[in-house]
Amino acid sequence: MTAPLLRRLAVPADVSGRRLLASRDGLVVSVLFYLIVSAVLSALWRAAAGEHGDVAGYSAAALTWYVVTAEAATCAINVRLIEQVGDDITSGAVAVEMLRPLPVVSVRLAAELGRCTARLAVLLLPGATYAWLVVGAPPSTAGALLALPALVLAVAANLCLQYALAGSAFWLRDTRATWFLYQKLVFLLGGMLLPLQVLPGVLRDVAMGLPFLAMAYAPARLAAGHVEPWLLLVQAGWLVVLVVGAAAVFAAGQRRLQVVGG
Amino acid sequence: MVLSSSQEDDRAMGTPVPNRGAPAIEAVGVSKRFRASSGSGSAVDAVHDLTLSVANGERLAFIGPNGAGKSTSIKMLTGILHPTAGTARVLGLVPWQQRRKLSERTGTLFGQRSQLWFELSPRQSLRMLAAVYGLDRDRELRRVAELGELLDATELFDQPVRDLSLGQRMRCELAACLLHEPDILFLDEPTIGLDLLAKRRFRELLVSLNEAGGTTVFLTSHDVADIEHVAQRVVVISAGRLIYDDSVSAMRRTMLSTKLVDVGLERAGAPLDLDGVTLVAGSESSAQLSVDTSRTSIREVLGRVLDTWSVSDISVVDPPLEQVIAEIYAERQT
Repeated sequence: MTAPLLRRLAVPADVSGRRLLASRDGLVVSVLFYLIVSAVLSALWRAAAGEHGDVAGYSAAALTWYVVTAEAATCAINVRLIEQVGDDITSGAVAVEMLRPLPVVSVRLAAELGRCTARLAVLLLPGATYAWLVVGAPPSTAGALLALPALVLAVAANLCLQYALAGSAFWLRDTRATWFLYQKLVFLLGGMLLPLQVLPGVLRDVAMGLPFLAMAYAPARLAAGHVEPWLLLVQAGWLVVLVVGAAAVFAAGQRRLQVVGG
Repeated sequence: MVLSSSQEDDRAMGTPVPNRGAPAIEAVGVSKRFRASSGSGSAVDAVHDLTLSVANGERLAFIGPNGAGKSTSIKMLTGILHPTAGTARVLGLVPWQQRRKLSERTGTLFGQRSQLWFELSPRQSLRMLAAVYGLDRDRELRRVAELGELLDATELFDQPVRDLSLGQRMRCELAACLLHEPDILFLDEPTIGLDLLAKRRFRELLVSLNEAGGTTVFLTSHDVADIEHVAQRVVVISAGRLIYDDSVSAMRRTMLSTKLVDVGLERAGAPLDLDGVTLVAGSESSAQLSVDTSRTSIREVLGRVLDTWSVSDISVVDPPLEQVIAEIYAERQT
């Protein structure tokens, strides 16, 4: 019973990741969806930038790499995750998981991280191939290399925030509205739809101070050739905050469940 | 505590009586009050003043009608719920304060909640659970092999959970809660939805697990047959209050001595005149008899029915749990 925590959590991550890779039908749909969205969005941005122009400091090629990276970071995560976790809380499934020696949220996050990083790897291959064929190599090799750990941090931070928000189901019972709002915030303020530099002044400053930038903007900006290693530090900082936040929400929610019942 | 009168009788009859010196579960005055979610300020006493002691290695049936407080009691004894009042120790631990530590030594199976991941095979779920319980790889492989053999489930372990029948899945669920070799099994309606054959097999497994490893079994069920075939002792809870606590053999002699015989008729027959047999319901094409088996054996009743009536179909069933509980109430009134 004393195996180190990380080793114990590595197994759920490993099993979930392998299982995802074995579900070929689901992966094909994910890849097709990802490629279609990436192709459409990057074509729009290339049209906006013009052949030799740029948008907010991003060339047409950089925007293409930006889009495939930002989309990979967000498409790697289950759609409606907040809603699914919320349903597990209200249905009592989480109560059963409380009868295990490790915290519910740690096991679930480990399994989700395994699944999402596996999907991320699968998405990146066709995504990068597409971008390379359309606009050539990434603008910066160093930036592209930094984007890889940034993508993993992006997925981890995204999962933690989604779990923290899903934990509201311990009190609110319905997380559909939360999921809808969250999706829009990542879309606009996380840099999924557009680089944050495109946003007007105050809104850009606000977005740069929110955790959403860790979820799409940071890896995408690196992949677009902006070698800014501090973005990884910002992501790591947000990840710590969000891990603690998700754990605190679940701990408080479980305490409420213990007192009030499910 | 409600009296347990028949320990001496059981000893005389050769029924194994567990070691009462070291209780696995000890609850004193445990209550749980829920506030209504409507915001009306009203409250419901789901469990009231539950006092109970379960010995190590005992097989206990904890029964009652819907809403009696069975699941709430299990949730308090496993630590999911805090009681409003009272104290309890399970394996020497206070469940709601030491829930995770206790979970290392208990296995819990909720019949209507799966602990297997539906998109994985049972073997993959078992691997994840082994890691969560901190089992090393050698111990995990040994336990999975042992449980596969014990539960006759080795081949099931490699099929996707979603492709398993309910009976097959419940065997895998049992493997999941036995993986870490728990000292106590909490089973909440484990046979719900199973067919007759699967129920029988599941009951036999529980008894053999208890006899082989001394695992304490705390079972809730709606099915009278679960109680008769698994438990040594039965505790009845109704409206949150403990109303009966005695050995199953004592209950069998009194409350469970009644069986129901359903008869399909080709044509109506003359009334039966047998001691302890009463006609509960009858029509041109069917009859239901209530048989007090302490006065007339089922064998004798079936023989008489087949000789006297023109029978198209016949079956013997246990009375519904609600009827047994009604009889307990009636007994307490007299």
